[in-house]
Amino acid sequence: MTAATAGAERVERRGPGMFGGWSIAASLFVVPAIFLLVVFMLYPVVSTIILSFEPGIDNYVRLLTADPKFLDLGTFPPRGALFNNLLWVVFYVSGTIVIGLLVAVMATRVRYEAHIKAIVFIPQAIAAVALGVIWRFVYAPEENTGLLNAVLGVANVGPVSWLGSQTWVNTALIIAGIWGSVGFVTVILSAALKGISTEILEAARVDGATEGQVFRRIIVPMLSLPISVVAVTLVINVIKLFDLIYTMTQGGPANSSRVIAFSMYQEALPARNFDYGAAIAVIMLIILIPVMIFNVRRFTAERVTQ
Amino acid sequence: MSKFRLVAPLMVAMLVLTACPAGNTGDGDGDGGGGSSPGASGGGGGEGGSIEVTSLWGGAEAEAFQAVLDAFTEASGVEVEYTSVRQDYNTVLNNRVAQGDPPDVAIIPGVGFLRSFAADDLIIPLADLGIDDAFLQEAYAENLAETGLATGAVDGTAYALMVKLNSKSTVWYRPDLFAEGGYEPPETYDDFIALAEQITADGGTALALGAGDSWTLTDWFESIYIRQAGVEAYDALFSPEGNWTDPSVSEAINTMLELLTDENIAGGKEGALATTFTDGIGLVFSPDAEAQMYYEGGFVGGIAVGDVNPDLVWNETIGFFPFPSVGDGDEDAITIGGDVMGAFTNEPGVAEFMQFLASPEGAAAWVAGGTIITPFAGVEAGDYPDERAQAEAEHVYGAGIARYDGADLLAAGTDLGASLQAIFDDPSILDSQLETFQAEADAAWAEAGS
Repeated sequence: MTAATAGAERVERRGPGMFGGWSIAASLFVVPAIFLLVVFMLYPVVSTIILSFEPGIDNYVRLLTADPKFLDLGTFPPRGALFNNLLWVVFYVSGTIVIGLLVAVMATRVRYEAHIKAIVFIPQAIAAVALGVIWRFVYAPEENTGLLNAVLGVANVGPVSWLGSQTWVNTALIIAGIWGSVGFVTVILSAALKGISTEILEAARVDGATEGQVFRRIIVPMLSLPISVVAVTLVINVIKLFDLIYTMTQGGPANSSRVIAFSMYQEALPARNFDYGAAIAVIMLIILIPVMIFNVRRFTAERVTQ
Repeated sequence: MSKFRLVAPLMVAMLVLTACPAGNTGDGDGDGGGGSSPGASGGGGGEGGSIEVTSLWGGAEAEAFQAVLDAFTEASGVEVEYTSVRQDYNTVLNNRVAQGDPPDVAIIPGVGFLRSFAADDLIIPLADLGIDDAFLQEAYAENLAETGLATGAVDGTAYALMVKLNSKSTVWYRPDLFAEGGYEPPETYDDFIALAEQITADGGTALALGAGDSWTLTDWFESIYIRQAGVEAYDALFSPEGNWTDPSVSEAINTMLELLTDENIAGGKEGALATTFTDGIGLVFSPDAEAQMYYEGGFVGGIAVGDVNPDLVWNETIGFFPFPSVGDGDEDAITIGGDVMGAFTNEPGVAEFMQFLASPEGAAAWVAGGTIITPFAGVEAGDYPDERAQAEAEHVYGAGIARYDGADLLAAGTDLGASLQAIFDDPSILDSQLETFQAEADAAWAEAGS
């Protein structure tokens, strides 16, 4: 043990010199990482792209022009997995951040802050599949099973078949998704909130700012970095969203709640149409690239400013 | 830098680990021994060998099938390792086949898959296993031979056995509630509609529908179509030449929608769209029932009694009547759903196993479990273990002509159920949706043929 520690120290001392040029030892240490990246990242990506072009560009043409399950611009509003995913990106991401931020800000003003945050955080401890099953019960069309319809029944509304209605199904799913993610946002933003020094807030109040102004002009701008971190994470999560759809609706009714990742699974595996599924995966990758570039740029920018 | 100390050995370990399986697969492919593990079967399996069979059955269905496997092992000395994949069977089977490690024998989820496996030469033709068409003609029960042969064949070559089936022409109902209301099981579709309206007028709900599982709608459609348009039209529709914009299709769908209205089904149409197949059974057969009839296959009986409500009594609280005739179509035609089984290897024991499945002994061992109807000859309705199974067997063996579930005959990737859900939800889109579906079906057939 001591020998190993001594060795590590020696490496540390020699450390700065290594960055000048690639020593053999450094290259050797990088090999496993590169090997794993090539085998588990690069190779699958390249072979997926090749697979998707097996019948030429037909898969892409069909996906974007002739597959109403994936994209249907013939109606208003448009339909299809791609459009549904856009709904998710807009409403799920903004809904989660707005609610998460409100809970974080308001919780700091009460004595039982920790309890509130714990309650909001509980859904984080639930696996997405279990969350889907729970919300299936909440949304069940019968009042005996469906919590939401039972509550509405008291007010003499409904029952509404939330997951059986093409009008409501995406809204219902997105709300379930928000419920599952608000805790994550609350915890991160509330930690960031503690980082804003009270002097700044006090100074603003002394200068006569109202609480609304403090929130809009001080808190939100100072939280912009953590908010964008959270937003990027949520956007990436939502573009590869699969579990909730799979457990709650299987993309139904009438394929009205499909999303990109679910379509990919559905086409590639149950329908055994591997190249078509691969084309969907490639489209998903293309959509994710700008998000990832944004993320990487921001991290590098941050490192520079530090 | 102290992190380095931890990470470096980890990386080496991972390298070693990732290298290992690659070596193993190479070996496995070499001797073709993958899958079955000789170690597990111990000394006993030595002489007859050992094969692996996969299916998606669990519970009572798996027990019934295990009895068949045991009977086979006793007769042949070949050990059978049964692997049950309850969830996502299609996906698991696909992956195993794609990675070159298929089970020896497997239930194939739908004829579309069979076609796709056959097109890629992944499945062994039955003739190579010593099962020719003459053998099959003899093996199947008389009224099921035609559909059995057609279902297991791709472009005239037999690849799979239809090993078990259930009727899909059974309307399950509550005899006690019918007696209370003074209702009689309907014989014609017009009577069916009249009965539903009567039940609604009396303050009840006629039907439950599990339209959240879209295949329940395809079963409704098929049951109506085969009776209304006839068997010939049915065969044509579910073939690569099928014309979904034919007026007979919209007529059958409209006939279906005449009965499946908001008033006639529990929870209305949208409620039904969020109800799964099993939940639908519960709406009729659970202690606090909401509806009186549930149309689905013969397997409903087993699930209702086994999972939903063990207190159900045959012909008192649960029974079925045959799906009523529609118009002047073929009256004694029924639709059936079933499973086909094919071989992915020709290991010793596989051919014997497939032949055993089609034999009267194999059939008799399977029906004793009471979960299925066998398509093979040599078994009579009286051989089934209980009244419910006997009634279904009589109904199937008495049918003049049987046809396989059409949606399962379509090319893999065709989703008739989703289209029917859309039309069911909004009948005004009927024509445009059928056109969309035609394009989808054409594309899937083209894909299957390529």
